[in-house]
Amino acid sequence: MNFVLIFLITIFSLSLFFYGRSKTKSISVENNIKLNALPKFYGYYLVLWCSIPALVFLLVWSLFEPVIIKTIIIETAANQGAIFNDTNEANLIYEKIKAIHLGTYFGDIDSILKESAISYAKFINLFTNSKIVLIFGIIIASVIYSLKKIKNNNKAREDVETILKGLLFVSSLIAILTTLGIIFSLLFESIKFFSVINIFDYLFGTSWSPQKAFVRDASAITADEYEELKDAFGFIPLIAGTSFIAFIAMLVAVPIGLFSGIYMAEYASMKVRRVSKPIIEILAGIPTVVYGFFAALTVGPFFRQLGESFGLTVSSESALAAGLIMGIMIIPYVSSLSDDVINSVPQSLRDGSYAVGATKSETIKQVVIPAALPGIIGSVLLAVSRAIGETMIVVMAAGLAANLTINPLDSTTTITTQIVMILVGDQEFDSPKTQSAFALGLTLFIATLILNFIAQRAVKKYREKYD
Amino acid sequence: MSDIKIKSKNLNVYYGDKQALFDVNLDLNEKEVTALIGPSGCGKSTFIRCINRMNDVIDICKVTGNIEIDGIEINDSNLDVVSLRERVGMVFQKPNPFPKSIYDNISYGPKIHGKGETKNELDEIVEKSLKKAALWEEVKDRLNEPGTGLSGGQQQRLCIARAISVNPEVILMDEPCSALDPIATAKIEELIDELKKTYTIVIVTHSMAQAVRVSQKTGFFHLGKIIEVGKTEKIFKNPDNKMTQDYITGRFG
Ligand SMILES: Nc1ncnc2c1ncn2[C@@H]1O[C@H](COP(=O)(O)OP(=O)(O)O)[C@@H](O)[C@H]1O
Ligand SMILES: [Mg+2]
Repeated sequence: MNFVLIFLITIFSLSLFFYGRSKTKSISVENNIKLNALPKFYGYYLVLWCSIPALVFLLVWSLFEPVIIKTIIIETAANQGAIFNDTNEANLIYEKIKAIHLGTYFGDIDSILKESAISYAKFINLFTNSKIVLIFGIIIASVIYSLKKIKNNNKAREDVETILKGLLFVSSLIAILTTLGIIFSLLFESIKFFSVINIFDYLFGTSWSPQKAFVRDASAITADEYEELKDAFGFIPLIAGTSFIAFIAMLVAVPIGLFSGIYMAEYASMKVRRVSKPIIEILAGIPTVVYGFFAALTVGPFFRQLGESFGLTVSSESALAAGLIMGIMIIPYVSSLSDDVINSVPQSLRDGSYAVGATKSETIKQVVIPAALPGIIGSVLLAVSRAIGETMIVVMAAGLAANLTINPLDSTTTITTQIVMILVGDQEFDSPKTQSAFALGLTLFIATLILNFIAQRAVKKYREKYD
Repeated sequence: MSDIKIKSKNLNVYYGDKQALFDVNLDLNEKEVTALIGPSGCGKSTFIRCINRMNDVIDICKVTGNIEIDGIEINDSNLDVVSLRERVGMVFQKPNPFPKSIYDNISYGPKIHGKGETKNELDEIVEKSLKKAALWEEVKDRLNEPGTGLSGGQQQRLCIARAISVNPEVILMDEPCSALDPIATAKIEELIDELKKTYTIVIVTHSMAQAVRVSQKTGFFHLGKIIEVGKTEKIFKNPDNKMTQDYITGRFG
């Protein structure tokens, strides 16, 4: 229904474009006056006036309609004698009524439900009809209004510009509000979690096993229960695992990425650059899940076999495999960012160094790299923040056991992996276990935020120095 | 007459297909200042960059012909450019100190060439170079501050000190004052006058007045060819060539 309406509104308002354009043209010719704007602006003016009010109305209506209908239906059901004790039961009855209406309910239907379903159908009809009538009313009103404006040769260009500016503003507002919404929901759920688990017990606890956390009644936890709970939600193994894997990844990505960046920027000829840069950047375009199964199915087993031939026990899900693959994933970021940074070191500095007799490698080592260092550090930090936020590879290759280990051949786990583990399967939404996922998300968010902030500052400072 | 330090014979330079210098023959005298003048794009920079082989850095640049320093051919692929550049220093149009401390800017060259084994020797080189570049008094208390924090004129003198630090015989200057204000320019000119007692100096300049003030010999380039060369006085008082005459009187350029 709504789609049909949107389609009709769009078609109708677009056709008004041509009408508005030719109309104003003929007005200006007949009355021999100079228009305040090009005819096409009058066309846009009509289009915007005809579509925006109707679409906004439709949006607002669609947001409120279900809520209003639900309230009314539950009330009528109650009046007819339906019994429910809390909102959950009320919701259940409402869902039943809806299902009866749609013909997808196969339980017993008593008279109350039947009556309610009939009035539900009535209301739906009423609402739909009034929606259509109102929308047509709005369109007619706004078309009449805007046509009158056009006849008076208003300043259509300014008005169109203002409306467009408004639209762009609303788009950025939506982006910002979504961000804020996500942050606040993270924050609120985390606060609920921290009202059960002391934040220090969380931050400094050394054991993580949320599957052990059974709580009968979250509002009344005994001291004994808390001792057990506390041990289920210790953050240290996760941050240790995350940093450990990120560290292995950086051991791979920083030297290779940096050196390849240096090669691209300083040594590669135009021809080589043209071919190899896109190839390196393809690495960045491979979906991480592909890296993930590569790590889990190829690299992990390879390390295990290799380990066995040396008499070592290597678990097939190891920090080493996950870190290695993650490092490979990050190489192109480090490489292309440091390539850019090195390229923007002014040629005059290199000339100055050559002129006192330094060789190319001396110049790179002692002048170019130090000059580019803040930018390089920035790009490495950006890579680190990608590494700790990366999920797919570690879920597939690092394992689930929250071992507190520094043996790269052991399996270990990360923050992101645990979030996934907590949230797959059936959830009780208000158990500490579920809420702990939000706390982890918040912690991860803060960590990457800080890293990105520092990294961007470093890169920016560096840019300022040479602009 | 002084001795000839640098001698170019039939020097041709190409950037890809484009020829930038045509059969340049030019002699530069020892411990003298030679000024190179001429309109933009006539090849002055290209010429002095041949003297320390800086054109090697540019992939598409090809140099044919001869350049001799003290009678030894330097346009030879077997020549060690590192030791050539130790003997022939260069100062650029825009001051380009390294983003390092003042001290490290100067000690950079000597360290590269393995001079100044001990901290004391290095200190000495730094002090001597800064003194020669007339910068010592201004910076002696802040040697550890970044060289990029100095004023434009100080930065240029820092670059001169950097060139001096490896104890060269020749200093090439490519419009060293074009980014500086008149006061800083006067200081550099004064300095050049002093430096010519020790070094052979080649300076590219856009200012006739500067050429007259600092140089003993002047060469006039036009469209990649050397048009006239001679004693500065003569070039500016009564040049032989009509084109030189037109250029120094500002009729083109
Ligand atoms: N790196 C380069 N690549 C291509 N052409 C160049 C390059 N440098 C200089 N040229 C060309 O060589 C000619 C001489 O340039 P240059 O020596 O810089 O002149 P000047 O210093 O007298 O202004 C100019 O036509 C210029 O366009
Ligand atoms: Mg030049």
